[in-house]
Amino acid sequence: MRRQKFRYGIGRLLLIAGAATMLLGASPGTVPFTDDETALILTHGPWPVRTAPDPSNRVSGVKQAIAFGRKLFENPALSVDRARSCATCHDADRTFTDGKPRGIGVSAVDRNTIALHNMRLNRWYGWDGKSDSLWAQSIAPILDTRELGMTPDAVKARIAATPALADGYWHVFGNAVAGHDAETALVNVAKALAAYQETIVSGRSTFDLFRDALAAGGPAGIAAYPDTAKRGLKLFVGRGRCDRCHFGPNFTNGEFHDIGLPHFPAPGRVDKGRYGGIKLLRASRYNLLGQFNDDSTRATAGFTRHVRLTPKNWGEFRVPSLRNVSKTAPYMHDGGKATLEIVVRHYSDIPEDRLHQDSEKLLKPLNLTDGEIADLVAFLRTL
Amino acid sequence: MRKVAWGIAVVTLLATGAGFADQCAKDDMEATATRLKENGAIVAFRTYPRVIAIGKPFSIEVIACVDGEKRMAPSRIRIDAAMPMHGHGMNYLPSERKLGPGHSAFDGLVFHMPGNWQYTFDVYDGDKRRRLTQKVTIGR
Repeated sequence: MRRQKFRYGIGRLLLIAGAATMLLGASPGTVPFTDDETALILTHGPWPVRTAPDPSNRVSGVKQAIAFGRKLFENPALSVDRARSCATCHDADRTFTDGKPRGIGVSAVDRNTIALHNMRLNRWYGWDGKSDSLWAQSIAPILDTRELGMTPDAVKARIAATPALADGYWHVFGNAVAGHDAETALVNVAKALAAYQETIVSGRSTFDLFRDALAAGGPAGIAAYPDTAKRGLKLFVGRGRCDRCHFGPNFTNGEFHDIGLPHFPAPGRVDKGRYGGIKLLRASRYNLLGQFNDDSTRATAGFTRHVRLTPKNWGEFRVPSLRNVSKTAPYMHDGGKATLEIVVRHYSDIPEDRLHQDSEKLLKPLNLTDGEIADLVAFLRTL
Repeated sequence: MRKVAWGIAVVTLLATGAGFADQCAKDDMEATATRLKENGAIVAFRTYPRVIAIGKPFSIEVIACVDGEKRMAPSRIRIDAAMPMHGHGMNYLPSERKLGPGHSAFDGLVFHMPGNWQYTFDVYDGDKRRRLTQKVTIGR
């Protein structure tokens, strides 16, 4: 009897230990992850990422500049016809984009409006990376005749003529706008706009909860993540190789690739992508090698100094962050993909004959099943 | 952070460069350097920082010799890196700072993807190029 009891006791212990292992293990449920997969998944966090103020912008992180930047962002005084503001296309209620295939300012542009979350983490700005700082990128739509259509003189005059903006400018830059030349006023306005945009950070997602539970071995958090998203995540870090470019907490390498998308926004008009972007960057008075960089050491200008222009840059576009991706349709630089499912199908059937001969050789058709496509989409929806 | 990384790489390189650079004829390079000998040339190199982070700039210090009866400093050193399996190179072109005969530092290298990269060292003896390569794996 005593021996039987002992055996029964051991059996119970083994059962309890087994159950505990199931609960505390890294991947309970029907979709287990290998150690390698778990290690890759953990590199996508933690979130949010801590950032420091931008040394190239002396008002980055300054409270008054952030408040002034927000006023500028939402004020139509910065458009030639006073009919639109930054917020018209970068609508806070639409995840700071507009839901349209391509942006429409004073007239239509050729590219999709980029959502403004997590901009401080970027190295390059715009689909072609023509700007190397958020403040330089903020100048571009102000001066673009298709977007806000202003000139430096017009910006200075509008700030001076709008009491709330004139007051904000004085508080942030310690001088009345009338005391600055038009180009200085334009750059200061852009730096305040950048200070505001840097504060737009996406919140913690369903994926972040899962990732942190996985890191901590929290069984409830792991179990709460849907199985279909887990299967999609396995594809993302596995056979899909999506994480070779969409890696890290912000799900991007911040660089540029050709993925076989059309180069012609309209008949007879070519979008050169990164090739044109590097040329514009080098020609810009507002790049980080120039006089308007507030970082006197120019340590911030290293990427700009060394960026390489090659024929392969033709038709490359910036790898976007995937955070909030389910809320930023339509997709791609030209807004040509209406849904996430269409995006995933593009990678499943990627047209190799359309890829540049020097482009990423990892890009091969994934030949996904309908179920795998649904799983990948389910995963993307959790970001 | 990236600005700090650039700064640290440059300052560290300036501070420690002299110790690494002895003479081309001397082949007992410091233990921290990787040493290659092929195609009639010798290259010793090390990176700053030592552990390369994906997407972060780094520098390489190189001492190169044209090997032969009498070892000589090359007329020129050129370095680059690529991902052979991916069919592309770096998106950045390193800039050279000459530290002495056959001794240079290259700044501005960035590995923008995880995976297998390969350095290429071109050591020139006049017009004659001798190419040496070294593989390196970059994780996340």
